[in-house]
Amino acid sequence: MADSSWTGSDKREAARARLAGNPFYVLGLRPDCARAEVEREGQKLIGMLELELSSATRYRSPIGVHRRTPELVREAMAELRDPNRRLLHELWATLEPIDEVAGEAPAASESEQASLAPFPALRALGFGDWGRR
Amino acid sequence: MSDKPLYVGFDLGTTNSAAAVFDGEQTRVVRNSQGSNLTPSVVRIDAAGRVTIGAKARRFLERDPANTHNEFKRLMGTGKALEFPAARVSKRPAELAALVLGSLRKDVEDQFGFAPTRAVISVPALFELPQSSATSEAAKLAGFEKVELLQEPIASALAAGWSAGDDGGAWLVYDLGGGTFDASLLETADGFLRVVGHDGDNFLGGRDFDWAIVDWAITQIERREGVKVSRANPAHADAVRSLKQAAEEVKIELSRSTDAVLVPASPLALDGSEIDVELELDRATVETLCSGLVERSVEVCRRLLRQNRFNPSQLSRIVFVGGPTTMPFLRDRVGAMLGAPIAEGHDPMTLVAQGAAIYAATTNLDARPLELAGPRVRGRRLWLQFPAVSSDLCPHVVGRVVEGPGQKPIRLELHRGDGLWKSQSTAIDGEGGFVIGVDLLPRKSNVFKLVASDAAGESVPVDPPTITIVQGVTISDPPLSRTIGVALANDSVRTYFDRGTPLPAKRTFTHNTVESVAKGGDGSVLKIPIVQGEFDRAHLCRLVGTLEIPSREIKASLPAGSEVELTLELDRGGRLSGRALVPRLDQVFEEVAHLLVPAADPEVRQATVEAVRERLIGLRGDAFRSGAPRRVGLLDGVGQGLAEVERDLVAARGGNEDAGQRARRSLLELDADLEEVEQTKRWPELEERKVRTLTWAASCISQYGTPREQKLFEEVSQAIDRAAAEHDPRELQRQLRLASQLGETAWYRDPSTWEYLFEDAASKADSATDLPLAQTLVREGRAALGRDDNQALRRVTERLWRLLPADVQTRRQSFDSGVR
Repeated sequence: MADSSWTGSDKREAARARLAGNPFYVLGLRPDCARAEVEREGQKLIGMLELELSSATRYRSPIGVHRRTPELVREAMAELRDPNRRLLHELWATLEPIDEVAGEAPAASESEQASLAPFPALRALGFGDWGRR
Repeated sequence: MSDKPLYVGFDLGTTNSAAAVFDGEQTRVVRNSQGSNLTPSVVRIDAAGRVTIGAKARRFLERDPANTHNEFKRLMGTGKALEFPAARVSKRPAELAALVLGSLRKDVEDQFGFAPTRAVISVPALFELPQSSATSEAAKLAGFEKVELLQEPIASALAAGWSAGDDGGAWLVYDLGGGTFDASLLETADGFLRVVGHDGDNFLGGRDFDWAIVDWAITQIERREGVKVSRANPAHADAVRSLKQAAEEVKIELSRSTDAVLVPASPLALDGSEIDVELELDRATVETLCSGLVERSVEVCRRLLRQNRFNPSQLSRIVFVGGPTTMPFLRDRVGAMLGAPIAEGHDPMTLVAQGAAIYAATTNLDARPLELAGPRVRGRRLWLQFPAVSSDLCPHVVGRVVEGPGQKPIRLELHRGDGLWKSQSTAIDGEGGFVIGVDLLPRKSNVFKLVASDAAGESVPVDPPTITIVQGVTISDPPLSRTIGVALANDSVRTYFDRGTPLPAKRTFTHNTVESVAKGGDGSVLKIPIVQGEFDRAHLCRLVGTLEIPSREIKASLPAGSEVELTLELDRGGRLSGRALVPRLDQVFEEVAHLLVPAADPEVRQATVEAVRERLIGLRGDAFRSGAPRRVGLLDGVGQGLAEVERDLVAARGGNEDAGQRARRSLLELDADLEEVEQTKRWPELEERKVRTLTWAASCISQYGTPREQKLFEEVSQAIDRAAAEHDPRELQRQLRLASQLGETAWYRDPSTWEYLFEDAASKADSATDLPLAQTLVREGRAALGRDDNQALRRVTERLWRLLPADVQTRRQSFDSGVR
């Protein structure tokens, strides 16, 4: 059976993933962007990735910098085309992305995860300090 | 010869085919040598081997039926070859389709001065993979270098959307062709067209309306003349064909008038005598005869709306496509039944071809041969990425300077052809990359000149010197119409692509072989069956292809349990390619063999009919006894379907291969319907399973699930509640399966799980395909247990599983799958 600390870190990981994989961050857009901007930015990024331009290969989220792939961009565009799903992602994309590299591997070790807590982003979303839970 | 790109689209129809071109601003339907927009999909080959196509060939359908074939689209992807006895040749449906495409290609050449080399060809949305593959083959045979396939409803919506301006809202495309029916739900916003979903009936078409009239005529002839014309009797085939032709004509006539006379071109030759037939028919009678078919199509539309949680009142318009939709009663009836306005002003016969041509522009598929597509400029080569068609007025042009000959530019500008706009001068970065936003004129084909300069500001020639971007409606990635997966040896399905997955898509999963394949020429083959369908049991899905690993091609013998990494890839048109990597051999197998619709032998089908009927009788008795009216209703539907299948089998015995194919598909669907009734019967059991599964999965996922799994589980739980509230056993089962998979994934992370699974596998080690190895593994497992090494225990258990034999019976049912 898992202990309570496992559950805590897992929840933390859930929040992390929602922020890191949020389609708005993947596309480098803010939640108030127009639908046309989603297509415009997505098309531009796919083009840049096809041409292997390094400026498109990474994106920023509130928890760091992550690798961007054409598949991720396509999926992000598909998510934001659906109005209901977009609403859900808007909720998680209200924070400003940051520049520092926070690692992107979801299977980060417990100590690495601990070093990320408390996330300012999560606090701002009303989740409090996960490190103390 | 146009100096602008020209895009070509083809509608390869069951009854008629059409071609259209799009020059970036408007579409034009291509007229054939007879001056018609439509070319009948008919081919005749005479004794001298002369090939006649289209309207000329159609005239011979009655006079020389043995050497004239039509409606071969319905046989695409089957192994059936059609005979032309006079010329002593036989042609596969794809070869006949190639002849029609070749004829249309010639029409384009006559009108535009070049034979198109690239084009888009439309296919029904619910075409199975072998049918799409056969269409691509036909295009190759017709001389095309590259083709993209596009689903017909998307083509028609694109064409209708192109001319509709900026109106937003939900659309229903009701596409009733000669042989297929497709219903698609689309939504437009900001010039962007999104396919919400589609549904259809692969074997409902205008032809069924004709047959309904033929059946009526047969009854009338029997009543008046006392002669029974039989569709099953090969001796009556000519008479039936003649009646069918007359029925088609009278149906078209009744689109314009309220009554007409059904008169075959010549007297019917029946059992040695000739009978003159002249039957009066009015529109009301045709409406009655065809009302069941219309009802069937509307039910498909309702199902589509329901599945996507749309109310018919939300539809802003219905677009009609296909010849049969010119019948006024059909349009009125469908409009009234769905309570939605009908979009007027579109030509239902050529809308698909026009949409295909527009789509060719969105995929930048210029039809002009490369050597004619404009003079080559000897300048520095640029790789460019830009949308050939854009709904956005300000899209980006992304590029990179290619290493190679020619002076390297350092700045770039784009100048619009009308001279009224130019971009800012953009610096090319260290990688040679640049991104420039452009300004498009609405609804126009915008040509931009690429103006490059060096450090001194001197002009530098670049290649290409110009690009063209058309502003107008565009579409999102088309969604996959049916789930695709691999049938496993235990009759389950490993889903690769769920219905609705945006295309293109690519997935890789690792499987394990269930038996050894010895290197050499014993002819044994390891099969990886690819299936299409929404069921979790493989035998209920449709086999659409098999990737084979033959013993004669492997470098070394492959023991049972070996890993096979299978990658399936779908392009935007839904064409499938498969690739199996066997790491142990370091060998790759790429041929998806037998991409064919299975043969429809009437005798085998008859035996299936008997089995289905027996099952139906049992279930019906049970439904009556338990007083379940909903179940009785469902079973009545199966009973009616079975009667239709029997009629088709009769026709199949009379030589109608198409009817045999329809019987095969209908039987699969009826079998699945009975399965649903069985599940409805077991609804309390299913509810109990729901509670059990959710409790178990929630517990596993909350403790061991990853964030993504937890998120997915939330969504699946909601879908389960919806399916339960709607009493939809099929959907409930599908969602429960997803919940179980999520639960299992999390469960495997529990350390005690592997202990349990190891003991279970160890108890069956006696039946392993390699007993000594299995015994060694059991010993290793016990040692791992002793030292609490969970990782090692997991590895051992997984290896043990691979050695356990698959049940032969189940495996056979699962298309002889050689993997798990």
